[in-house]
Amino acid sequence: MNDNTRSDSAMLDNKMDDLQFRRSIFADPKSQDSDILAAQHADPAKKQLAHELCQFDEKLKQAMKVPVPDDLCHKLLLRQTLASHQQEKRKSRIHLALAASVAIVAGLVVNYLQFSNSYTNVGDYALAHVYHEQNVFSNDDNTRVSLTSLNQKMTTFNGSFSESMGELISADYCRFDGMKSLHLVFKGVTDVVTVFIIPKEEHLAFTNKFNDEKLRGESLGFKNANILVVADKNESLAQWQQTISSKISWSI
Amino acid sequence: MKIFGNKKTPSQVSTTMATKQVRYEALVKALHGDLYRYGYWLTHDKQVAEDLVQETFLRAWRALDSLKDEKAAKSWLITILRRENARRFERKRFDISEYEEASIMDTESTSTEQTIENQWLRDKIAQLPPEYSEPLVLQVLGGYSGEDIASMLNLNKNTVMTRLFRARNQLKDALEKEPEKMRFTHE
Repeated sequence: MNDNTRSDSAMLDNKMDDLQFRRSIFADPKSQDSDILAAQHADPAKKQLAHELCQFDEKLKQAMKVPVPDDLCHKLLLRQTLASHQQEKRKSRIHLALAASVAIVAGLVVNYLQFSNSYTNVGDYALAHVYHEQNVFSNDDNTRVSLTSLNQKMTTFNGSFSESMGELISADYCRFDGMKSLHLVFKGVTDVVTVFIIPKEEHLAFTNKFNDEKLRGESLGFKNANILVVADKNESLAQWQQTISSKISWSI
Repeated sequence: MKIFGNKKTPSQVSTTMATKQVRYEALVKALHGDLYRYGYWLTHDKQVAEDLVQETFLRAWRALDSLKDEKAAKSWLITILRRENARRFERKRFDISEYEEASIMDTESTSTEQTIENQWLRDKIAQLPPEYSEPLVLQVLGGYSGEDIASMLNLNKNTVMTRLFRARNQLKDALEKEPEKMRFTHE
């Protein structure tokens, strides 16, 4: 019994049985497996079956070759061309958008740096402004500005002076912390006296009197504008304010 | 100014694009037929097969740089197509009628013996369960080995061989029931 089983399994090992051959050849008729080829060689019926299946495969292949639409190839090429064109357009749009964004941000930053309100009251700003320009004007400057041209500039504020308040060295528009203002420089007792005529604005707190170790300032509110006088300690600011008040008139 | 790092010069880009274009066109010309037929046997629908092939090649274009070995192109494309087909089912649940007579390819009007036979076989192939017909199409039409098919379908080789056996077995059974349909003779 034991012997018998052993010889059976030995036979199975050496020689493919019909079922096994059938399974293999049906799974792959063109198999080049050495066992399969040997089995075919040994048994003409197996060879016949393999041959039949190869023929059958050929028919299957013909049947599977369904007609391919003639225009498919062109459609594929066209669609890709269109798609990659779209992609290119999208890319360039993105680049343009990026460039625009960078430009806007740069603009905002410049704007912020240039026109930001870094001072909280007129006094601080006025002092800083005067210090910034202290080397530009001196009491010895010989240039003089006439009352007419001063009043021409004053039209911006709808105001005018009835007569000269002193020796006016310079009268020019300037940016007073972002506001368009008139910057007057008068000859003073020891050093120049600066007068700012600035529009009434909310963003700088109004300070009546201000000073530091060197300069003093006073501001006066008028109907259309504030007028600031900044000078050193040898000047009588009250006198200046008095002069300005008496000589200015507002047209509206 | 090299703000954007290793940017290629325009001429380099257009050369790369041109090479890509040439590769793509070669792929389309050589393989669109096989892909279409494979898609057809996967879906049994001409229009869907065509859509699948279009979608497949569009994706192939985008991923073309990842294809290193031209010899692997066909199985790469088949993999994309199978994924696209699976996605189609995710997108909307088709009511998959087992197979519709009308959707199966028509024979040409000139009904030669050969075309009748082909049509009969096509019907029978279409009637196979998809898990049998898919490896059969890959083997017979694609010329892939059992190992190739196993890796493409994510199955083990024995499963593939069993399915191939059953596919042919069912077709032969059908043939034996209607032997007059085929000139399949036992010489």
